[in-house]
Amino acid sequence: MSFIVENLPLIANGFLVTIEVTLVGIFAGLALGIVLAIGDLYGGKIISTIIRFYVEFFRGSPIIAQLFIFVYVVPPLFHVLIDPLIAGFLIFALNSAAYQKGYIKGAMQAVFEDQMQAGLSIGLSKASTIVFVILPQALRILIPAWSNEFCSLTKSTAALSQAGVRDLTSTFSSIGSQTFMILEAWVACAILYLIWITVMTKIFDIVYEKKKIPGIEISA
Amino acid sequence: MTNIVMECRNLWKTYGNIIAVKDVSLQINEGDIKLIFGPSGSGKSTFLRCLAMLTPPDKGDVFLRNECLTKPGVDLNKARAKIGFVFQHIWLFRHLTALGNVELALRRVLKMSKDKARDRAMLALKEVKMEEWANHYPAQLSGGQQQRIGIARALAREPDIILLDEPTSALDPELTGEVIDTLRDLAKMGTTMLIVSHEMPFAREVADEMIFYDEGAIIETNLPELFFTSPESERAKKFMARLIKRTKRE
Repeated sequence: MSFIVENLPLIANGFLVTIEVTLVGIFAGLALGIVLAIGDLYGGKIISTIIRFYVEFFRGSPIIAQLFIFVYVVPPLFHVLIDPLIAGFLIFALNSAAYQKGYIKGAMQAVFEDQMQAGLSIGLSKASTIVFVILPQALRILIPAWSNEFCSLTKSTAALSQAGVRDLTSTFSSIGSQTFMILEAWVACAILYLIWITVMTKIFDIVYEKKKIPGIEISA
Repeated sequence: MTNIVMECRNLWKTYGNIIAVKDVSLQINEGDIKLIFGPSGSGKSTFLRCLAMLTPPDKGDVFLRNECLTKPGVDLNKARAKIGFVFQHIWLFRHLTALGNVELALRRVLKMSKDKARDRAMLALKEVKMEEWANHYPAQLSGGQQQRIGIARALAREPDIILLDEPTSALDPELTGEVIDTLRDLAKMGTTMLIVSHEMPFAREVADEMIFYDEGAIIETNLPELFFTSPESERAKKFMARLIKRTKRE
């Protein structure tokens, strides 16, 4: 196990990058996903067509290709420099938003019709009803799906290595080849992912239980 | 001088080739309690929803205290704040407690302070005898209790009128009593109400006027005692005969 101790700073750094990118991806993706879901539900034909294209692009192509395009194709085209890590934040947020939009829209529709009517009937505007009535319920329903999205997002951050970002996977990959302890390196890598995902999904479970509306069983 | 609270003139609403509201005009004065009777599917609910501007009518005008709500550019949210609406299927906000349900409009529409909203909401809950249940969530309450919260929610912001769409028809028969009692209390307080309901003893007791509604139109308006004993229109006669038969069976 000495190779781990020796490379601890490297590993910690890679781990941190993976954690950062997943957290930014999942939260920024949620915020953008909410905007996209509302746009799709209320924005009219043109906006919802644009949103559909956006979603199809990010769901329909591998994240590794999206990253590659964003890091190596876009900058020279527009004569800009993009830090690979920033590109990672962006792509993972945009990608996750495309998935989360679908979950959020579904959850909003599940609570939508009667609750919107009830909201309007007491004098709330459509927007206020969404904020105070629809979203608080939809986000609760969303938590299990969100937990799933978190798991798959975390694992897809391995694609970051293609953009030259030192994440957990690429760190262990290079440690493995440098120390010739390839198997051990991958096992250690898997364990770290497992710990991180287990801790986070446990947190999701706790939040889900805590936020559950008393008397209602939501089946995800 | 009578004080007209709500009025509609030549209201129309169609869904495809179904006419739910056909050239309906109606006036409701301060303190009036009018009951709408009529077969299911006749458009009563749609009519009520048009009055509350929850469903915009195709044609015709709705007035709330001289303000025309069907004119373009009217702030409908503001208008709806002055109209209480009680739904057949109750439709409480599921993520809020009983108190939260009643408070929401006070806080977010009338912009009351937290304390003031709480006091007012508790008062409304007291009026429907639900103050002890203030911290319960809808799913923890019986249907009758939920509907009383629904009434408190409509009542709390002291609306000009309360429209009630079959407030007891989704409830088990043993639960309708408590809701009817609540409505009776409101009637005693002089609340202006337009109620779609088939509860005959209640209608007889509190209604100032009975409205028979069928195929999207008001067929007959009559005093309750006359309406129940000798309705004028053929259709109302037939409907009453059927309703009495059904009520006896129950």
